[in-house]
Amino acid sequence: MTVVLGSSKVVPRRRRRPRSYWALRIGIAVLVFYAAVALISFVWTPYDPLTPGIGDGYDAPSWAFPLGTDRLGSDMLSRLMVGARYDLGIAFVAVLIALTVGTTIGTLAGYFGGKLDTAVMRAVEIFQAFPGLLFAMLVVQAVGAGIVNVILVLSFVGIPDYLRLARAEIHAKRDWQYAEAARLAGNLPWRVAFRYLLPNSVGPLLAFTSINAAFAALVTASLGFLGLGLGPNVPEWGNMIARGQDGVMTGQWWVSFFPGLAILGLTGGLYLLGDALSDITDPRRRGR
Amino acid sequence: MSDVLLEIEDYSGGFRSETGDFLPVLHGVSYRLKTGVMTAVVGESGSGKSLVALSILGIQPPAFERSGGRILFRGTDLLSLDERGMRRIRGAEISMVFQDARAALNPVFTVGRQLADVWQLQHGGGRSAAMKQAIEALRRVSIPEPERRARQYPHEFSGGMAQRAMIAMASLICQPSLLILDEPTTGLDVTIQSDIMELIVELSRTRGLTTCLITHDLGVVAETCDEVVVMNAGRVVEIGSVEAIFTTPRDLYTQRLLSASQLVEAA
Amino acid sequence: MPPLGKMILRRLLWVFPVAFGVVTMTFFMARVLNGDPTELYAPPEASDALRAEIRAKLGLADPLPLQFVHYLWNLLRLDLGTSFTTGQSVASDLWDRLPATLELGLIGLALGIAAGIPLGVLAAVHRERWPDFLVRGTTLSGMALPQFWVGLVLISIFFVDLHLLPGPVGRLPIGIALPPRITGFLLVDTLLAGRPDLWWLAVKQLTLPALTLGFSSAAPIARVTRSAMAEALQSDYVRTAIAMGHGRRAVWFRYSLRNALLPVITLIGGVAGHIFAGAVLLESIFAWPGLGQYALQAIERSDFAALQGFVIYASLLYVLAFLLVDLLYMFIDPRIRA
Repeated sequence: MTVVLGSSKVVPRRRRRPRSYWALRIGIAVLVFYAAVALISFVWTPYDPLTPGIGDGYDAPSWAFPLGTDRLGSDMLSRLMVGARYDLGIAFVAVLIALTVGTTIGTLAGYFGGKLDTAVMRAVEIFQAFPGLLFAMLVVQAVGAGIVNVILVLSFVGIPDYLRLARAEIHAKRDWQYAEAARLAGNLPWRVAFRYLLPNSVGPLLAFTSINAAFAALVTASLGFLGLGLGPNVPEWGNMIARGQDGVMTGQWWVSFFPGLAILGLTGGLYLLGDALSDITDPRRRGR
Repeated sequence: MSDVLLEIEDYSGGFRSETGDFLPVLHGVSYRLKTGVMTAVVGESGSGKSLVALSILGIQPPAFERSGGRILFRGTDLLSLDERGMRRIRGAEISMVFQDARAALNPVFTVGRQLADVWQLQHGGGRSAAMKQAIEALRRVSIPEPERRARQYPHEFSGGMAQRAMIAMASLICQPSLLILDEPTTGLDVTIQSDIMELIVELSRTRGLTTCLITHDLGVVAETCDEVVVMNAGRVVEIGSVEAIFTTPRDLYTQRLLSASQLVEAA
Repeated sequence: MPPLGKMILRRLLWVFPVAFGVVTMTFFMARVLNGDPTELYAPPEASDALRAEIRAKLGLADPLPLQFVHYLWNLLRLDLGTSFTTGQSVASDLWDRLPATLELGLIGLALGIAAGIPLGVLAAVHRERWPDFLVRGTTLSGMALPQFWVGLVLISIFFVDLHLLPGPVGRLPIGIALPPRITGFLLVDTLLAGRPDLWWLAVKQLTLPALTLGFSSAAPIARVTRSAMAEALQSDYVRTAIAMGHGRRAVWFRYSLRNALLPVITLIGGVAGHIFAGAVLLESIFAWPGLGQYALQAIERSDFAALQGFVIYASLLYVLAFLLVDLLYMFIDPRIRA
């Protein structure tokens, strides 16, 4: 029960949609937009993003170059569009892998409990003591640049969180009545865990995935900023921000500015989506 | 005939959903609480009895909107009071005991501290004096070793003991004229239930409280109350003295309620 | 021993296996990832014999278990090896750079908490109204934006455009010597050396990076405060407090905030751990001579020992942060002691 402070009054109101409705749709729209831009970039960009010298170098935003050009004269808009492939794609794939692996192990640990659970949780605790970004940096530096490596490292860093979430969810539901019913019906334990218990946790998992994807995108950009992971001329947004650093000092702010906005849009949209999803799947919302 | 302390007059309202839809829940609820009398408000879950009670103190859920009616306390419409006005009423004139006592107490403060805080709020004075009052109040509601218990946290209390502490807070620390109890014994063991009810009755009598007992347990009502208000689906269906309701119920719903609880017997 | 004491002891003892695990993992990670560092130390035309000598000196000629034992033994003596880049012991390198990171981190974190908690309370109290939306919008961007970008934007506005604050050249302007190191914190040492002018310069250099850090950390702090506080405000015990006549302020600050602080403290612990483990990117942008920059250099130059030392420091710091959080919990939440 909640509390209202003050006298109750009747306030006539038009029918309107709940806030989470809009948040959900905006979040999805943002994702779709970014995916579309990334896909379109395979087929068309205003100019060739990798060719220098199209502009004079550090052209300010104008009709010819809506977002300006970078130091070498490459069009920013085209580079941003191509960059969408990397930041979006890497985050998406990495999260998918982390989700699958982490949830599976977490479900098993949460369901079977006992020594397996303890061992897994201790390992996770130790692993999580490592600063994630640093770990990613180390590994990428060691195994070399490349998209696959970055994806693998990101997935690896993301697994522990999924693991904990899945484990907590399954652990809480393990002793519920319908789990008991499923067991009595003769289902094998792993089937009970994956087919009956896990689907009920889709809500929190989905919400978390969205937020995790945002985090993965940020780490990708961070790695790109440091020049690790993808290679020097790849138009990944973090990398673009780094290359625009000198420009910022001399007043050519757009080279670093627009990639940052692009990141903001993507991660902001993902966070919004995650918020909306966790609102919608929050069991406390039923019947209020 | 004692005079009317609180009158609910034609109170109606409903819930406003997130989409803006209005679902009416209370329809013209009217009843009176007479001074010194113990009145029961009975009904099944969803009858709206708790909602009305919360409205009296202005602590109803924010999604609830009133569409009409008044709540008169000694002639003043409580619904027209602002926050400051209501604060003067709460605890000082009207107080309330809730159902789940352990959840109704703050888990990070000791029980004694919470009682003492309310004492200081209502009566002023220093901390140690307030704490003494808190301990005395706990003693008065038959909590053994009150000094030790006052230093404990709510999770260390049993359900029944926590409810006693709540009753102490609402009727001894606060010194209201009207005490509302919302399902105070639901969820407690049967023997504890009767102990708690005994305590409530005894405190009401000795302090001359007007009491409103909200419950769906007719057995308790039969033993302790003077008047009964029967509610169903947001409406008041019958009002009368305990004898009248239990021996000659006029409304169909009341009759069904009585037969369902197997309390139909000649007075 | 009272039950609380037992709980504390158990929690403290748990640090050791975790620390051991961290240290072991670092050992293997360093060896697996960095291959053979002999190449880095040996000049290109070195003979095999010279290489063998260098390997032996680096302790790499020994069998792995023996290397591990040496490693542990050195750790216990706080010997983290020698940095190939600076030529100094890693331990002294870390010690040199620690105050820079700490000073910036403490101030940034303080700003984040000072802004985040009140904003979260504000949003919770005015739930679903415009202050709430404003706070949520701002914190969303705070969390969605990469810290290095925020830093660049601030530099662009306050230094390049408005000329209000100095450029990102480190803790003091170029050419100005540091005061004698007593605590390592410039804000203290400058005053101790009787140089209020230097103090002011240090403050100005600190402003932009601290603001960036504060903005990034305020965002998650505000969010968690908001949701924890909102939950507390809807609770039964708050309803009781109001029913007994407590006023709004008392309800907010005394009866809800204390309850809401529990999850907030956990979050702050995590944020603090992250900050003090060296905000690599932030230090890179602001040319801040702290541990983050050290780590970055170590990575870029494959400085084996420095890297290993830094990772151990950072991980153990996290372990410490969560230990403190857990201990704090035990004092604040009476239910845990049950």
